[in-house]
Order: sequence, then structure tokens, then C-alpha cells
Amino acid sequence: MSNINYLELCVDCVKKAVGLGAEWCDVSAGTGRDISVTIEKSGIKAADAGQGEDLAIRVYVRGGMGYAAVSGRDRRDISEAVERAVALAKEATPDPDFKRLPAPEAAPEVEGLFDDQIAGMSVGDAVRIAAANLEAGKRLEPEANLSGHVGLSVGEGAFASSTGVALSSRATDIGVDLEALLKPGGDRGHFFDFDFGRFLEDCRLDDVATSAVLGARRFLGAKRIKSGRMTLVLGPLASYGFLGGIVGAANAESIQRGRSYLCDRFGEVIASPHLTIVDDGLIPRGLHSGAHDGEGTRRRPLTVIDRGRLVSLLHNSYTAGKACTESTGHGTHSGGIGPTNIRPALGERPAAEILREVKEGIYLECGELRADPASGDISASIDFGFLIRDGQLVYPVESAMIGGNIFDLLAHLDAVSSDAREEPGILMPTLRLQDVQIAGAE
Amino acid sequence: MEELARYLCDLAKQRGAEFADVRVLHRRAESILVQDGRADKLAASTDRGVGVRVLVGRCWGFASADSLERSRGEQCVDDALALARASQEFVSDPAMIAEAAPVVAEDRRPPEIAPGAMPVKEKIARLLEYEHSGRAAGGQAVVNSIVSYSDGMREEVLANTAGTLIRTAGARAVVTCLFVASDGTIRQRGMEHRGILGGAEILRRTDPEPFSVAAARKALALLKARPAPAGRFAVIFHPSITGLLVHEALGHNAEADAVWAGQSILEGRLGEELAPPAVSIYDDSTVPGAFGSYAYDSEGTPGRRRPVIEKGRLVGFLHSLETAAKFKAAPTGSGRAESYDCRPIVRMSNTFMERGTVPLEEMLRGVERGIYLMDGHWGYVFVQKGQFICHAGQARMIERGRLGDMLRDVSISSMTLDTLRKIDAVGDDFEMKMPGLCGKEGQSAPTDCGGPHVRVGDVIVGGHAEE
Repeated sequence: MSNINYLELCVDCVKKAVGLGAEWCDVSAGTGRDISVTIEKSGIKAADAGQGEDLAIRVYVRGGMGYAAVSGRDRRDISEAVERAVALAKEATPDPDFKRLPAPEAAPEVEGLFDDQIAGMSVGDAVRIAAANLEAGKRLEPEANLSGHVGLSVGEGAFASSTGVALSSRATDIGVDLEALLKPGGDRGHFFDFDFGRFLEDCRLDDVATSAVLGARRFLGAKRIKSGRMTLVLGPLASYGFLGGIVGAANAESIQRGRSYLCDRFGEVIASPHLTIVDDGLIPRGLHSGAHDGEGTRRRPLTVIDRGRLVSLLHNSYTAGKACTESTGHGTHSGGIGPTNIRPALGERPAAEILREVKEGIYLECGELRADPASGDISASIDFGFLIRDGQLVYPVESAMIGGNIFDLLAHLDAVSSDAREEPGILMPTLRLQDVQIAGAE
Repeated sequence: MEELARYLCDLAKQRGAEFADVRVLHRRAESILVQDGRADKLAASTDRGVGVRVLVGRCWGFASADSLERSRGEQCVDDALALARASQEFVSDPAMIAEAAPVVAEDRRPPEIAPGAMPVKEKIARLLEYEHSGRAAGGQAVVNSIVSYSDGMREEVLANTAGTLIRTAGARAVVTCLFVASDGTIRQRGMEHRGILGGAEILRRTDPEPFSVAAARKALALLKARPAPAGRFAVIFHPSITGLLVHEALGHNAEADAVWAGQSILEGRLGEELAPPAVSIYDDSTVPGAFGSYAYDSEGTPGRRRPVIEKGRLVGFLHSLETAAKFKAAPTGSGRAESYDCRPIVRMSNTFMERGTVPLEEMLRGVERGIYLMDGHWGYVFVQKGQFICHAGQARMIERGRLGDMLRDVSISSMTLDTLRKIDAVGDDFEMKMPGLCGKEGQSAPTDCGGPHVRVGDVIVGGHAEE
């Protein structure tokens, strides 16, 4: 892909930074090629391609962090970036809470992060995937207005640090995201779907338009509903966002700094016993998988919530040093913390059965059910939801909202489905929450 | 940069492009994060490259490279042409481009204090001063404080095959503070945000009192606030919420690419009365110093004031060169690209409602029971169905025409057309202080939004309990 040895480049930059006064330093560098085909008004609108290289260096001096990023392969720019990172680290306030960067740690390769088939794909292949979706979507619903993208990327990179970490990696991914809009007689039905993967054979890329059109049909005829306390069922897409937010809130830095609703809750019960969530960055072919995190720490599966109890926080090297514990392998190179593949433990009964028991409620197919990071309060719109009556989805709802606090919602979680939508590495079950405040417009 | 841009344009034309434009860009940025008394994360970035867009037959092709080397630019031309040609067969809506008079211009807007001209130490000292002032105002209840600053210079050359050649250079700077307060039971946040078309002078212009002190006091006050009620309420929007309304609910629907694609709820409504006559809404990229302002868009069209709603009537959309051609309208200078590696798409700049005539006190008197929404944080919209959400960091109950209890963390959701129709009072004041980055199709664009206080007959409030 490139004639540059990125690992050598990283090692050279680390040496230069140390020579300039860096006490600790790590460098990541790589190159990527992207292809994207844009679909609009049920046809192809444009095709884009990009190729780029980037390098980022992080330097610590007395615990203060300097960071510099540069695009391109110009050696003068790279050299300047190294000098700038060191200079900025020297200007930063010393931080005694910084202990060390991760030491080298052997880790087994995670299989399935690079697919030669994807790496060999051209824009013509991406156009063919787009065309197949357009054809299938129009065949199902000639009036459907389809829009979205087909995209793929191929990248290789390296990472080196002053502690001796030296890593190389390659990755591919491909995906289709499509929206369908139906407008019969002034009504509007709108929905979307997607499929992403690291391996071509893991994807069903040609079926996305069909699924989006079927979804859009279901959202025709939306009605307003009355306010009230009722059952809230989160479909797979909604549950992924909801649970992802909770795992994200288990960020050790937010908790150490006192700004998270999970402060002082470590080791405590924060949800009903139905909820167990594992974050696992080692799943073969997983969308967020990798042998190491962005700081070179070996990844490992981490149970974050165990039968309702918050049992682990997500650490990077900084927060782990501050807490005198080990990094969990969730660090990013720029100093942040982020989850990987989220895998809730599945329940014992299928989603259909859980839904059948609901007398009156809302089925949230998809929506941003995000809690305020400090208070945990939730005030969210029902973007794509249905009214449930006697176990059946009756009609889609419009102009309705969900209100409450994250802990109330988690305490009222009474079922996790045994079946789940699965994207590479990720599990998305259906969740049922009792007694949730819904605000309606009727 | 100019020579490369012109050369690649000529090359694209020679090799078969009916239209081509080339953007050559160089950006530098720095940021400082002060947290809990320490400047602990300092960062810098440099970014340069070229983007080539071509129109061939019925389709666009676009390719970019992170290099100003001629050979990489030539490869971009070839790639863009190949990409456009590969897609011809599946185009249902042929690409078009408006005929615009070529513009040859230079627009350099040096900031009062160039980002690099103020020493890092001085910037840190100012940020620590903000933090100390906020901490002093918040006292022991403040458990976390973050003050962040970033500034950046952007130099860009645009050339197209119609003869346009524009060189622009400018800077933007942003300073933000966040204070988290706790009473031992709950935690609340107070935030303030400033952004200018300029440089480090923002740190001299921003005083601690209305900035970090105000943010810390907000966090403290919210500790005593109660959760909002749930249901339908008459509401009064603070200008920051009016800004979210005009940007999210209306502005994105008025972007002509969404209208042309049949996605926007404003499709086919040009000329219709959508709101009471007191409502006029504009997008204006010529507001001096405003965060969303610019002289030329990424296609070389001069920025301007664009009427969207005048006296309640929908009078126009925001256009790029392509949508202008399709609608047979004049380009409005709304084609913006985040960087060299993005195609220009239709974007807003500074979007606002014009002031009306009703004092806030009079608006309040007209509400028996409602909610006053303040401190606009964020919002989003589904243009396809015209449903939007706006989040307010704080709110107050209105009881019998008077402001009552403080409320925390409240969002409202409604349908755009319904909400516009239900505006029944437009304030005699005006504020546009919502600088931010608006996201669309993976690109972010600097924007601002605002307006006067506005009263709406009823919207849905996503509170904790019915009352």
C-alpha cells in the first residue's frame, strides 16, 4: 500500500522526541485509502476517493502532555510536529498523577481485521453494491426515495513508544448505510438500515435498501399519543445506544474527576440483576477489535456491569496510574478513554415473547436515549417508536418524549431478550423497562 | 498553492471534465485544556492537501490527497475523472452546475492577535484565571472544572474551470468552560462557550464574570433545580433556544440539497405562509466577526444575507452552485466544505430570527402555566419528517405570568411546521451567541445562530413526571 515503513518512522520520531527532552513518548502513524459512493434521490450522485497519511506524537514532561498531529508525508512537517509536541509538553503544568506509559506486552493477534478481498476492491465494486441496493429497493417500492452511502477503507499503521512498545497493524472495513423515505398522500414513512464489517463475507451489503424500505413502510401513519407512565421496550438499535452510553460513562477519568453520574457508584448495584455487560475488544472480526488499545496496552475482555453491579471502570494508562491499578486497554492515543465491542449478556426469552407481555407501552426502534453525563437525567425524543397495546405494535408515534433518570430506568429493567441483532463483535438485544414517563402530544 | 490549483484545473479540463474545481488548503491549529488547576493537555495539528472535484457527463467525481506535490494532485485529477465515469450508468438525477461569473479575489482577514503571536504561557495564564474565578464563585461545591481553548489559521486557494481564482486566509478561535457542582447527592453542569472569526484576542475580550463565573453559578443554581414536568406546555424560548429552533428545525430543511432530494418537509412549499407575519428568518454569512461568517464559500460564490422566511412566508432556500442550477435560482454562497478532502455541500452560516416587538415581560404575562427554556445546548432534526429536538441546560416554570421554580435538563421535541405556526410572540430583543460546529454528512462547519425571545403556544416537554 505504501513504501514507507511506518514502524521505523514511529521509532525515529520517538528517538528524536527523547533527544529533545521527552520523558515519555509514543507515536502512531499510518496510511489509509477510502472510497465512498453517495446515493441520493434513488440514484448515484457522486463517487469520492481519498488517500492520506497521518502521524501523531504524544509527549510527557513531568506529567504534562504535549500532542501534535500532522497529515501527509512531508518530513519537515513531521519533524516540526515532534518538536512542537515536546515544546508543548514542557509548557504544560507538571502532573504528579501521571505515572508511566504502558510497557511492551505481548498479545495474541486478533483474527480477521484485514480482508484481502476488501483491500482489492475498486470504486466499480462499490458502485455495483450501490446499484444492487437501488435495484432491490426500487423493486420492492418503486416510489421509495433512497439515499445514503457505500464506503470502504483500507489502512495500515504502526505504533512505537519510549517504553519499547513497537506494533504494526492492518485493517479493512466496508459498509452500507441507507435511508428510505416514502411519501404516499402527504404521509411520511422514514427509516434506515446499515451493515458494516471488517470482512466482506460477514456482510449482507446488498440487502440494506430492502430493509430500509420495509422499515419506512412501518413508520407510515404516525399518530400522537397521550402522556403517561408505561412500559418502554428498546429494540436492538435503541438498546445499543442506551447501553453504549452507560459503558461510556464508566470512563475512569470522568469518575476520578468527579463529573460523572457514576461517581461513588463503583462496586454498587446500579441496575436490575438482568443487566450484565462485557466490553470485549478481542472478538475476531469485531468492528472495534484490536490486540492493543491506542496506547499499546493489551486489550482484554472486561465485565463492566455484573448482574446490575458496576464492577469495572474503563481505564487508560493515566487513570490506571492515578488509581494504582492496571489499564484495562481502553486508552486512545490522544489521552481519552473509549469502549470497544459491547456485549450484553442475553436473557432467557426471545424478544417477541417479552413484547407480547406488554399491556401498554412504547417500542423504541431507534433513538438517542442519552443521559446527561453529570446528572444522569434523560430527556429524549422518541425518534422512531411505536405504541404497544396488548403485546402488539399498534402504530408509529410522533411528537413524544421520554423523561427520567438513568438509575430509575436501569432499576426498572425487567427483561433482556435471548435473541439479538449481531454486528461484527457487537450484540444488540431487546430490553424492557417498566414504568417510564412518556410525554405525548395528544 | 495558486499555481497548483490552476494547473490541476486546466489538467482536469484537458482530460475531459466539463467542470472542475480544485481547493488547495493549509490549516494549523492549537488547543489547550486546563482542568482542575492544571494545563494538562496541549495539542497542535497541521494539515495540508488538495481536493479535486470534476463533473463528467451526469456525475460528480472527487478525489483528495494530503500533499501539495504536483504528482499527487495529478493522480487526484485522474482518480476523480475515473470515479465520475464509473458511476454514469446509475445516475438518476444528472449533476448540474450553475453558470456563475468567474471571481478573481483575495480575502485575507488577519486576526488582531494571530494564534501563534500570543505565547502559550500567556494563554494558559488566562485560562487558569477563568478557572480560578469560576472556582471562587462556585466554592466547595465545584468538583470538576475544565477550560479549553483552541485557535487555528486556514489558508485556502480555490480555482475552477470557469476562471474563478480565490485566495482566502482567516482564523477562528473558541474558548469553552465547564463546571460540575455536587451537593453530595446530585451533580450538575454549567457551561459557557465563546467563538469568533479571529484569533487569540478572544481571550482579551472575554471577561471571567460573564463567562466562567456565570458557568460556575449556573452549575450551583441547578443543584437546587427540580426535574421538569412532562407533557404539553406553552413555552418561551431564550434567544439561544430560538437559535436552535431556526438552525435545526428550519435551517436544515431550507438547505436546497435536502429539498431537491425530496427529503425536506419544505419541498414544494416556496411562497407558502409557514409562520405568523412577525416571523422573519435569515441565514447571513456577512455578519462581521460572527463565527459562521465568510467572504466566499468553498465554490467561490460570495457570501450574503439569505432570506428564508420573510413576514411568515417561505421565500428562499440555501443554494450551492449545483442546487442553484437545478432550481434555476441564484447561488447563495452556501456551498461549504470542511477541508480539502470533502466535497462542498449546502450548509448554513449564521442563522437567526429577526427581532420583533414584544417585550419579554409582556410575553410572560400571557402565559398562565408554561416553561421558559434557557441555555441552549444542542439539537438535531430529521428533515424527512420535520421532527426536531432542542435541549436546554436550564429552564424556569412560568406560573400566572411570573417566572417560578428553576428546572434542570429539559428537552423539547416537536414538528417544525407545527411549531412555526404556533409562534405567537416575537421578542423585541436579539442575541446570537451560539458559535459551534454543525455536522452534516460527516463534515462540520462553523456556524452561529440566535434571535429574540419567542413564545410558542405549545410543545412537548420531555420531563420526569406529569403534574
